[in-house]
Amino acid sequence: MTAPSRDDLDRTIARLLTVGTYVSIALLVAGVAAMVAAGISPLDRAAGFDLRRVGSDLAALRPEGFLWLGLVVVIATPSARVAASLLGYARGGDRIMVLVSVLILAVIALSVVLGSGQAA
Amino acid sequence: MGVGLLMLAGGVAAGLFGSLLGLGGGILIVPLLTIAFGLPLREAVGVSLICVIVTSGASAGVYLERHVANLRLGMTLELFTAIGALVGGLVAFRVSDRVLAGLFAVLLVYVAVTMLRRRDPAGAAEAPADAPAEPVRHPFGLPLDGPGYTVRNLGRGVAGSLGAGVVSALLGIGGGLVKVPVMHLVMGVPLRVATATSNLMIGVTASASAIIYLLRGGIDPFVAGPTAIGVFLGATVGSRTAHRIDLRILRVLFVVVLAWTAFEMARRALGAS
Repeated sequence: MTAPSRDDLDRTIARLLTVGTYVSIALLVAGVAAMVAAGISPLDRAAGFDLRRVGSDLAALRPEGFLWLGLVVVIATPSARVAASLLGYARGGDRIMVLVSVLILAVIALSVVLGSGQAA
Repeated sequence: MGVGLLMLAGGVAAGLFGSLLGLGGGILIVPLLTIAFGLPLREAVGVSLICVIVTSGASAGVYLERHVANLRLGMTLELFTAIGALVGGLVAFRVSDRVLAGLFAVLLVYVAVTMLRRRDPAGAAEAPADAPAEPVRHPFGLPLDGPGYTVRNLGRGVAGSLGAGVVSALLGIGGGLVKVPVMHLVMGVPLRVATATSNLMIGVTASASAIIYLLRGGIDPFVAGPTAIGVFLGATVGSRTAHRIDLRILRVLFVVVLAWTAFEMARRALGAS
């Protein structure tokens, strides 16, 4: 197993960021198109985010399904970038950067936990 | 439909202006959504965070591919911007819209003054001078330097990053306004690298707080969709045309817009709707 060079890692991550961005934009475009088709105005209120409902919304081609999925991809892409760096640094034996990557993912995980809790 | 188009167009304008003037779109999206579309400030901040992640994602990819951004430095500092953003995201749900409006007004005035004082886009020539010449060492054995420069004052960089994260989460901006000067002037990173690295850090920083906004109902998908698409389009066009446009007039116009927006935000902070 050869360690990836710094350039390889930069390139892999660059590709990941670009793909993530375009996928999320495509989903948002689909969602906005579905909004237009359904006659929904941006000023209409959507129900709050519920991950369990995204699948059924998508299956029913409801705008919320595409939009929520697009937003989740937007928010998850940077973490995917950190996870890819983690793998790259782990393969290269760069323990400090592995630790940094793990800590970043831990902070993101903590914001999921604290965000899910009610504001006390 | 009409409102959706207006929101999309507003997003295009925010993304275009932002990228032409080297700011993220965030500084314009929040005022656009609150003043023009009547959204509560915190919801506008949530949508703005989504927009800055989208715009930074595409350009960060380009910077990385060209090896301008310093990934190791960016990741080390973004650990701290993310912690700041986590704290800021939690605080944002505990303070009133009026407090946020007041903070936003201060930010706008600061940006307007910075714009007026900036002589030339080629301010890149200024030397990273005033940082005390701390002996070069690699804390925890962490080599962060890039070709032709040595990173110094990591402790101050960490403190600046924490602050940038809090500001980003409270006001829905990428935080380059804080990170770029900290990296360039304090840490001795060349301006071009500092800008690219700051841009790379936006994603993780803004996502740490955007998660909190999303899970606590602070992001409306019907607003976020059209706005994010608009900002993405505007920023894409802006980054391809910036070198062909005389920015002096645009900058003056922008300062006027910022001053007016600061006035509106200050009025909200003082209780006028």
